Amino acid sequence: MNRRRIPEGFPWVLPSLVVLLALSIYPLIYSVKLAAADRRNFTRLFTDRLFLTASIQTIWLTLSALSIEFLLGLALALLIDSLARGRMFFRTALLIPMLLPPVVAAVAWRLIYNPQFGVLNGTLRRLGFHTADLTWTSGESSALASVILVDVWEWTPFLFLLLSAGLQAIPPEPLEAARVDGAGAWRIFRDVTLPLLKPTIVLALLLRTMDLVRIFDQIFILTQGGPGTATETVSLYIYRTAFRFSNFGYAAAMSFVLLAATLLFSRGLLRAMRAR
Amino acid sequence: MKRTRAGWYEAARKAAALVPYLAAVAAVFIALAPVYWLLTISLKREVDQFAYPPQWIGFTATLEHYRDAFAGGSFAAYFENSVLLAAISTLAALAIGVPAAYGLARFEWPRQWDHRIGDWILSTRMLPPIVTIVPLFLMLRQARLLNSLTGLAIVYTGFNLPFVVWMMRGFFEEVPKEIEEAAMLDGESRAGALLRIVLPLVRPGLAATAVFCLVVAWNEFLFALILTQTEAAMTLPVGIASRVTQYEIKWGAMSAAGVVAMIPVLVFAAAAQKYLVRGLSLGAVKG
Amino acid sequence: MLEITGITKRFGAREAVSAVSLSACAGEFVVLLGPSGCGKTTLMRMIAGLETPDEGTIRLCGEDITRRDPRERDIAMVFQNYALYPHMTIAQNIGYPLRVRKRPAAEIEAEVKKVAARLGLSGLLANLPRQLSGGERQRAALARAIIRRPKAFLMDEPLSNLDARLRVEMRAELKHLQHELKIVTIYVTHDQAEAMTLAHRIAVMRDGKIQQFDTPANVYQRPLNTFVAQFVGSPSMNLIQRDGVILGVRPEDVQLSASAQAGASPGRIYVTEEMGNETIVVVSDGSSQITARCPAGARFEFDSTVWYRFKPDKVHRFDSSGARIPD
Repeated sequence: MNRRRIPEGFPWVLPSLVVLLALSIYPLIYSVKLAAADRRNFTRLFTDRLFLTASIQTIWLTLSALSIEFLLGLALALLIDSLARGRMFFRTALLIPMLLPPVVAAVAWRLIYNPQFGVLNGTLRRLGFHTADLTWTSGESSALASVILVDVWEWTPFLFLLLSAGLQAIPPEPLEAARVDGAGAWRIFRDVTLPLLKPTIVLALLLRTMDLVRIFDQIFILTQGGPGTATETVSLYIYRTAFRFSNFGYAAAMSFVLLAATLLFSRGLLRAMRAR
Repeated sequence: MKRTRAGWYEAARKAAALVPYLAAVAAVFIALAPVYWLLTISLKREVDQFAYPPQWIGFTATLEHYRDAFAGGSFAAYFENSVLLAAISTLAALAIGVPAAYGLARFEWPRQWDHRIGDWILSTRMLPPIVTIVPLFLMLRQARLLNSLTGLAIVYTGFNLPFVVWMMRGFFEEVPKEIEEAAMLDGESRAGALLRIVLPLVRPGLAATAVFCLVVAWNEFLFALILTQTEAAMTLPVGIASRVTQYEIKWGAMSAAGVVAMIPVLVFAAAAQKYLVRGLSLGAVKG
Repeated sequence: MLEITGITKRFGAREAVSAVSLSACAGEFVVLLGPSGCGKTTLMRMIAGLETPDEGTIRLCGEDITRRDPRERDIAMVFQNYALYPHMTIAQNIGYPLRVRKRPAAEIEAEVKKVAARLGLSGLLANLPRQLSGGERQRAALARAIIRRPKAFLMDEPLSNLDARLRVEMRAELKHLQHELKIVTIYVTHDQAEAMTLAHRIAVMRDGKIQQFDTPANVYQRPLNTFVAQFVGSPSMNLIQRDGVILGVRPEDVQLSASAQAGASPGRIYVTEEMGNETIVVVSDGSSQITARCPAGARFEFDSTVWYRFKPDKVHRFDSSGARIPD
């Protein structure tokens, strides 16, 4: 009988589909139209030095922040997991950075980083360090690293939280079996814990990657892309192109490069993790 | 008292057991110090704010910056905008998204359409905001909704919708189907069973989902920055940012605004603590 | 009373229930018996209105209810996991069907008390389901089903989540209750002992089709095919290939003796299992194993030789396709 009828659940889903079509898919199509209006929007991508710089810096920032946050987050998760008491307290306290509005977190770090008046250099000077060369976000060579440091501070808690939950979800039996089988702590970690944790790791890295390639808020507050172009990222450059120079077509073209990069990178990460 | 060799060994072992705790305390210090510093700046008189050596404790506290920012400045208006915006967009996302989540979780779909639709809905959340923001800006300009809370509320609703569908679908799937079927055999209609039996059961999940939407809307910066360029619809993060980029920065007032901006988030996070993992991982990890 | 005609249900390309017809008289207790995946639960859910059949009709008290909403059928169901509403007290759970029907509160309260007393739940009415034991939850689910005196009861393996002792207790309780209420009941189970003890008639199902629909005695004594023969009875009926036919002998119809006897064949003791009230003996005759049910105290050593023979009037005969050969 009526095998082609509309599924019973369809009316329930319809409003959401309409809203998302209007607010995600239609803008995407609109964006294609904007970019395609002028062929030069795409040819310019290949000759634009600033776009190249921004791309390289975005990739560099993503890779380094991602790996530091992952290692630190895993270490913290293992550390807190090993504590006999106070786990709940430590876990809660460590989560606070990522919950703050990113703008507020960035403001706090501007207060900290300021080379003359900031508390960071102030404290170091008090401890007897020479701080005249420590320029943090205002030095061309140190700015990107300083931005990465803020991201590590803000988002290591995210990896810590997810990995910590992953660790707790591992059933005790395989670990006990490995101990009975004679494995030492490191071998248990490598042969049992890590493989069982892998789905969580993949998920955490994926979510973090997608956020890192679109990084905007912290840099906008901390450096606005400067000094010079030292912390320029793709998001920031797109923002400037569209809303400072009103070149919407070129901004749209660049945003497609960003979208493609996000997809490629996530896919690559998934594949790499599956292969291992 | 003289220690025996075994006694020394015992003491060393006890000291070694403390090392992980010291490391954990150090991590907590690093995590909280910047927040604490922001708080002290908001409470210090201007002369003390950048004093050398830095004053961590024992400074003269004042509330003048809070007065400045909220009574004298425009931060009270931004705060109100942020509250309204978060509340409206969250309610709208729930109203549209909860039925969809239910529809995907509970009905038979031919050829796995429930999974396909679910994945598609989630994938819209993965779009980098900067990709859709240019067209959204132009669309809202055309609709004369720039610099209005309405325009921003619409965008935030769309932004939170995939999240609501994804989270609530998981919560609905946890309710045994039989409970609903029992209600229908007991004489309820489908909608009646949803309203009177299922929704009360997923209330904690519903609350957690709402909290996440509120936090996302409250913290959001990029859309707010671009879609509201006048004071009329400026949110707290944009208000703070607009002060940072000025030539002369009033750090006290800005820190005060920052402290106020993070309080609701911390309160909400404490309320939804049980669901933090699930919410932050888009429901992929149960917690 | 309840009449099912030519019901078919497909999930994708798979037919879960194929052209099943079945009827139950007023007050009858019908058990759908079969292994998991045989379609018995799907059939029950179509009677409840939780699934819509692709073909066929279901009539209850003369009315066609095939496409009606569950709530318009006046059928009550007891679920395997009880499906109590976790956020309501036991009293609210039991009274819920009446509340949905907007009966006056005083009447609901009185009815709840009456039913609760009947099922021994009086002291638990203010509790939440999670505070109850498995057996108590089971009775609460039952109370919720009977409070509105529906036209039919459906029970989906209601006893399978209970421990063995409680299961036997509840089985007797259930049978008596059904006798009192005289409401037609369709009961799904994979447990042949439950089916034998509860049913007026058993429908044995396999691969979406009914294999045999008859009284417990007939299903046991005159199985229509080898599937039914082996599924009903424990230990299972022995099936022995001989001269192109299959002989079926129930273990109680196998006689063993320690010495050679007329008409008996020799075999070796494979294993013996003492049950207390009887002893199950498995004999190996080289090509196959034969299970025999012996009186308690029968003693045989491993690997010793015994002679077995079948009670001649108790041998069932099936053709090579498994169908019963008429006597």
